[in-house]
Amino acid sequence: MNSSEISYKKPLLETPFHKRTSENCYSNNWYRWAGYKVVNEYSSIELEYTAVRNTAGVFDITPMHKYDIKGEDAKKFINKLITKDISNIQSNQVAYGIWCNEDGMVIDDGTIFCFNENHFRIFCAERNLNWFSDTATGFKVIIEDISTSIAALAFQGPLSCKILNLLKVNNIENLKPFHFDNYNIENHNVTISRTGFSGDLGYEIWCDPSQAIDVWDSLFKFNRDYKVLAAGMNALEMVRIEAGFIQPNVDFMSAEQALRPNRMRNPYELGLGWLVNLEKKYFTGKQALIRHKEKGLEKKLVGLDVEGDKPAVGSVLYDNSKKNQAKEIGIVTAAMWSPVLKSNIAIGFVNKEHYKLGSNVYAEIYHPEELDYRKIWAECKVVKRQFFNNPRRNAVPAFK
Amino acid sequence: MKKFDIIIIGGGHNGLVAASYLSKKNKKVLVIEKNENVGGLAEYANNLNCISPIITKELNINAANTNNTNHIISLEDHQNHTVLEDNNGKLSFIKTNADEHDQKNFLSIINNYKIFSKTLGSFMFKKPPRVKSGNKADILQLISMGWKVRKLGKKNMRELLRVIGLNIADDLEDNLSNNNLMGLLSHEAVLGTNLGPRSPGSILTLLYKQAINNNVFNFKNIEVADYINQLEESCNKNSVEIIKSTEVKKILTQDNSVTGVQLNNEEIFESTCVISNSDPKTTYLNLLGAEILDTDFIRRTKNFRSKGNVAKLELVFENDININGVANNMYGKFIYAPNIKYIEHAFNANKYNKYSENPCLEFYVNKNILSANVYYVPYLANSNHQENEIIKKCISILSKFITDMKISKEKLITPNAMEVKYNVAGGHWHHGDLEIDQLLMMRPFYGSAQYSTPINGLYLCSAGTHPGGGLTGINGINAAKKVIGDLK
Repeated sequence: MNSSEISYKKPLLETPFHKRTSENCYSNNWYRWAGYKVVNEYSSIELEYTAVRNTAGVFDITPMHKYDIKGEDAKKFINKLITKDISNIQSNQVAYGIWCNEDGMVIDDGTIFCFNENHFRIFCAERNLNWFSDTATGFKVIIEDISTSIAALAFQGPLSCKILNLLKVNNIENLKPFHFDNYNIENHNVTISRTGFSGDLGYEIWCDPSQAIDVWDSLFKFNRDYKVLAAGMNALEMVRIEAGFIQPNVDFMSAEQALRPNRMRNPYELGLGWLVNLEKKYFTGKQALIRHKEKGLEKKLVGLDVEGDKPAVGSVLYDNSKKNQAKEIGIVTAAMWSPVLKSNIAIGFVNKEHYKLGSNVYAEIYHPEELDYRKIWAECKVVKRQFFNNPRRNAVPAFK
Repeated sequence: MKKFDIIIIGGGHNGLVAASYLSKKNKKVLVIEKNENVGGLAEYANNLNCISPIITKELNINAANTNNTNHIISLEDHQNHTVLEDNNGKLSFIKTNADEHDQKNFLSIINNYKIFSKTLGSFMFKKPPRVKSGNKADILQLISMGWKVRKLGKKNMRELLRVIGLNIADDLEDNLSNNNLMGLLSHEAVLGTNLGPRSPGSILTLLYKQAINNNVFNFKNIEVADYINQLEESCNKNSVEIIKSTEVKKILTQDNSVTGVQLNNEEIFESTCVISNSDPKTTYLNLLGAEILDTDFIRRTKNFRSKGNVAKLELVFENDININGVANNMYGKFIYAPNIKYIEHAFNANKYNKYSENPCLEFYVNKNILSANVYYVPYLANSNHQENEIIKKCISILSKFITDMKISKEKLITPNAMEVKYNVAGGHWHHGDLEIDQLLMMRPFYGSAQYSTPINGLYLCSAGTHPGGGLTGINGINAAKKVIGDLK
């Protein structure tokens, strides 16, 4: 066998933007995502983050998994798959949804694009073909993994609309949040959706891989005035924590991947109860979710406003201000110092006595300081998970 | 629109047992049967060894015991057949080419297996416990199962735990040297399973069969047709309505509960309780529809191993049949599975969904009619069998032992044909393999054990449930008891 055929000897795949991303990746810091390499950090996370929050940042999100759902039962299939009801979805609309297993435990989340009644497309972070195919049993649908045939960029930031407008993308300012349409960027046909992971105004741009480099270059065309920057996964992680979005296998274990049953989480525990419609006739996990709702929560994923300025990464949460009397009541799944909010924020699970907004919990922070840890007992306030939510995110028109 | 207390889909023997039991409890029962006659797959059963005392007691069935001394004839190419006599479970050699040491060991292996199968049998006829239900009855039963295994004594318990996952070939080769005897016992272990003599778990299937039949070899002690007739009469007496030649198209549900059934002719019968005697796959994927079942559950349904691989061959001769080297008064069950290697080779084809070039046979002779089970003839999902080729192969094997063959009629019923006629997915005798992960509380699979289903008011009573096929009727009666328990 040729050594390049052995999977662990195969180099990671390059996305259609690789020529540009590698040129800009001074740190040579790559991240492994679904068999591809994408940039973790181009030169400095601070610069990239600042660009996303002040001008616009470009993320290469090509490795996202993309599944085409076609056939006369496409809508019925989606309605069986996800927990919310999309019966009223219109063409060119995007739905955000989660799907659960029979125990009502969340497998993954994703955005669902509706082209028409018989054609949907699902974008998600984890591989799901197996789950979708088994869910499709009994429905007249064809499910196809089209992950490699579409190149994707996230173009996020307050000036993203302005720059698209300068690129003469017709009527882009009137594209409503959670909608998509076909546009033209400098003679290249692209699909643009007003979606994203930053909690700010932003778009995702989908195009044919052959046009990827041209589309990338276009976004940087007005850089003399606007300073658009390519941004890596580390910066994306920062903005998504600020926006309060959760990631499978980071903030919770996907039910398809968790080995220990007590690590799986139901939507209510993740604060995603608003995505569950128990009135809907049928979807996978409905019976279990009815039971979960009746039973109430044991723990919940909440936002935490942490005292001080040291990020509570991986901290264990306690119930008492006195360390020697404290009982363990939760854990932090993601934490950071937020430059834009000037506050120390975290996302974490806390148990049922403490998940009400305004409750106080205590985090034990191990802060590394020159080969030593400083142990900080920091007070945290339970707050809404959505730390950053700028009104321009949902404004129409997005730019005047 | 007619209303019933309970509707049973499929008039197979388990359906009839359930109907009869429920009607005795003053329930208004409807049985819907696809074919002209009730009985289902029992039609193909060559043998019925015993009816469980539970059935005879609860339903007053008294099928006549033909009570003959039985013979088992293991055919051998050089006409050195082994003939065994079974006198109410007591085995003795009438003729064999095995030496005395082998004869002794052969009988002692069977005796050992008998001890183990009795232990298995003691929880065979009960509702299997549900693990982790927290229910007191379930926990008690789990404890009693463990206790029964422990009661075997240290030596026997160890031996049971040693052989339970073992393949039959290893155990036989350790103890015997005669090919014919090893072939004979291997045959009993693998017939009707998707296993070869060297597949792990083939001893368990033998023990399981032994537990169901009360005997390692199964014979015709009871006329199957007579038994089915009695069941039907018992149903009629208790005014069970039986509709024949009518197929159910859909099980109707609302809010996760059963509301009735719809027939192929669009007619609807209402009921809040439906028992499906169809196999689990057909019940869930066709009758109920996958759209209303959880994806995990559909996965398990699809993964339920239910590929049949035994074909039924009927040959009518012009004259009475004479088997070379066997006296007429010794006729009983004939087996052609001369040695382990032969069976294992036949099994190889099965792995690749092909029929065996040299199949194994088990047959009975009645004057000029020969009816045989032929294996391995696996169910083919996407193509059809070349039936003539298979018949030719069988005849060429039979011609070694029958001189002057003049056949006037031949008929082969493949697993594919059984699937069509009886709506049994895969044409499997037991509706699904009897292997360790598809037994007891795991039968047919997690989420559907104990005769219940994820849908309120829908139950299973087919061979796909515990304790499997083999015409025990236990599936039917256990399901019926479960229904009565739930209705309270």
